Amino acid sequence: MKVFFTVLICKLLRFVGRLIGKGSSFPGQIALKICPDILSRVKLPEFIIAVTGSNGKTSTVEMIAHILMKNGKTVSWNREGSNQIEGVTTLVLSSSTLSGKVKSDILLIESDERFARYTFKYIKPTHYVITNLYRDQLTRNGHPEWVYDAIADSIYDGTQLILNADDPLVSRFGIGRDNVVWFGADKLSTDTENLVSAYNDGAYCPVCKAPMTYSTYHYNHIGHFKCTKCGYKRSDTAYTITAVDLDKGVMEIDGKYQISLALKSLYNIYNILSAYTVARIVGIDGAEIARDMGDYVLKNGRVITFELGNRTGTLLTSKHENSISYDQSLRVASAYKDGCDVLIIVDAVSRKYFTSDVSWLWDIDFDMLNSPNVGEIVLAGKYVNDLGMRFSFTGIPSDKIKLFEDIPEAVDYLDNGSGRYIYAITCFSDKGKFLAKVKGE
Amino acid sequence: MKILHLYYDIMNLYGDYGNVSVLERIITQSKTDCEVVKKSLGDSVDFNDYGFVFIGSGTEKNQKLVLGDFKRLSDGFKEYVEADKPALLTGNSFEMLGKSITDCDGGEHSGLGMFDFTVTEQNKTRMTADAIFTCDFLDRPLVGFVNKCSQIDGITDHAFTVRRGLADNDSCKTEGLKYKNLIGTHLTGPVVVKNPHFAEYLAKQLIGEDINSECLELAKKGYEVTLAELSKDN
Repeated sequence: MKVFFTVLICKLLRFVGRLIGKGSSFPGQIALKICPDILSRVKLPEFIIAVTGSNGKTSTVEMIAHILMKNGKTVSWNREGSNQIEGVTTLVLSSSTLSGKVKSDILLIESDERFARYTFKYIKPTHYVITNLYRDQLTRNGHPEWVYDAIADSIYDGTQLILNADDPLVSRFGIGRDNVVWFGADKLSTDTENLVSAYNDGAYCPVCKAPMTYSTYHYNHIGHFKCTKCGYKRSDTAYTITAVDLDKGVMEIDGKYQISLALKSLYNIYNILSAYTVARIVGIDGAEIARDMGDYVLKNGRVITFELGNRTGTLLTSKHENSISYDQSLRVASAYKDGCDVLIIVDAVSRKYFTSDVSWLWDIDFDMLNSPNVGEIVLAGKYVNDLGMRFSFTGIPSDKIKLFEDIPEAVDYLDNGSGRYIYAITCFSDKGKFLAKVKGE
Repeated sequence: MKILHLYYDIMNLYGDYGNVSVLERIITQSKTDCEVVKKSLGDSVDFNDYGFVFIGSGTEKNQKLVLGDFKRLSDGFKEYVEADKPALLTGNSFEMLGKSITDCDGGEHSGLGMFDFTVTEQNKTRMTADAIFTCDFLDRPLVGFVNKCSQIDGITDHAFTVRRGLADNDSCKTEGLKYKNLIGTHLTGPVVVKNPHFAEYLAKQLIGEDINSECLELAKKGYEVTLAELSKDN
């Protein structure tokens, strides 16, 4: 009776919430108040797939949902990205019958990496994808090892882990578990022999802390690592990116499936691979996945193009407080052979919480923009002085750099008829201020 | 002039290297040649070679690893500090100088024993906050960010008073350590860049009165913006 009542209340609140445009956490929050163990009282489907990690959770979950639904599966997933326990509770109860049985074939959960331990206490995933662990929002998250410990507490026996073999910290979750499914990339044409990054989070072994070596770097500390002392090393992969051609914008999985990339960047290839891996585990044919993925990428590439006078450009949405996300965007701009100008905006560090911390600017490898492909670099926003200070410690000539505190002024400056391509790099929290001044796609 | 950036590749969580980069620039643009020397685990160090020592913040595990190594250099570092030479230790690096650090599992790690304070870590809540600290050796407050999981008890030579942010522990209003010209604070990251008056203070300690701080112009503007932001009620 309690289950019936709780599910009913949750569904009603969800219904009303949708009408008045409220978020999806509140119904779950109330349901947990009425019945704190409601999640352990509902009947769950055969597949409970969870995804966590620093970057790419939402994209990965969206792709998994797309492929599974295309192949006739019913999927319940937190599409609004409410990824703490309240949001997951709303998801589960909204997808249930009034007697408390989840109606879908698959429950797909994007989980906040810090709070997964609370959510999975009640809902044990059958499959658990961990994408990566980067320096991300350290003003909330502490540091990657801290997040590692939080995720470790959310892994229970009987869950099959699906891990990024190229991330040394993520790989550590697989130690002592025999049914891990590994995904990763072979040595790629875009790889480097030496680290390209402002810092090295792969310098020391996450297990024994002895120095590590890499036979190849995909980007930052992601690559083929090996400890010089304890034998810890990258695992062989079951599902693999075998080639990538950024000029053509194509990646190849398992030596036979070609998938085109909406953006000519490495950014999304791991998300695509992890979604592919999950779909294979659920039993979908590889060729079918590749086809569905191709459709999806073309439609939902999340690439925003814009016009400014006679100039065109692309907005590369990058996460503030996340140096690897920025590095990926800088790499795209610096590789643009026809020549481009770059606009970087840091105005509100976060849209969710208060902070003025700009330490993360020092972890970004802005020297990547010291490239003949890059012309002017325009810096803008409230923290433009901090950006300018950081840039003064790169090798980029100072006459290439322009500073504007006011974002519209920066955009007006770029509206100068030069015809050169523009890459605008900023975060969710600041992109609206830019898009308001240009003509969207 | 040589600056020692000790444990540069393992105590480097929040862009801490900016602190030595900015000092190197001020000093080079003033009158003296300046070089940053990077050293890490197992390297030999003669503190007599240096005019400034910096250590940044690290993960709890890396701090314990570094602590083991730092003990090897302990006598040299103590002599350096006692000789009134300047050093800055940010984040959890200055915790190594106390009597002990108790980790989240209750394990006790003995510190360098230069001071009588004790450190207690936990692994439940990450304590983070933007910060404004005041002190008697600078005419304007420091701004920055604290990111820690520990409480410190028993510091007697306080560096700062907390106007905003996190103190050494819940029941005090003081933060960090200042003994002779050694400063330890839980402010993390490029705190010297964010606080150009602090950069000038340190640079003067290194080379005397005549410093050229033209290169700090943007940092000075940035400081005013951050101080104004952090002075709002949030």
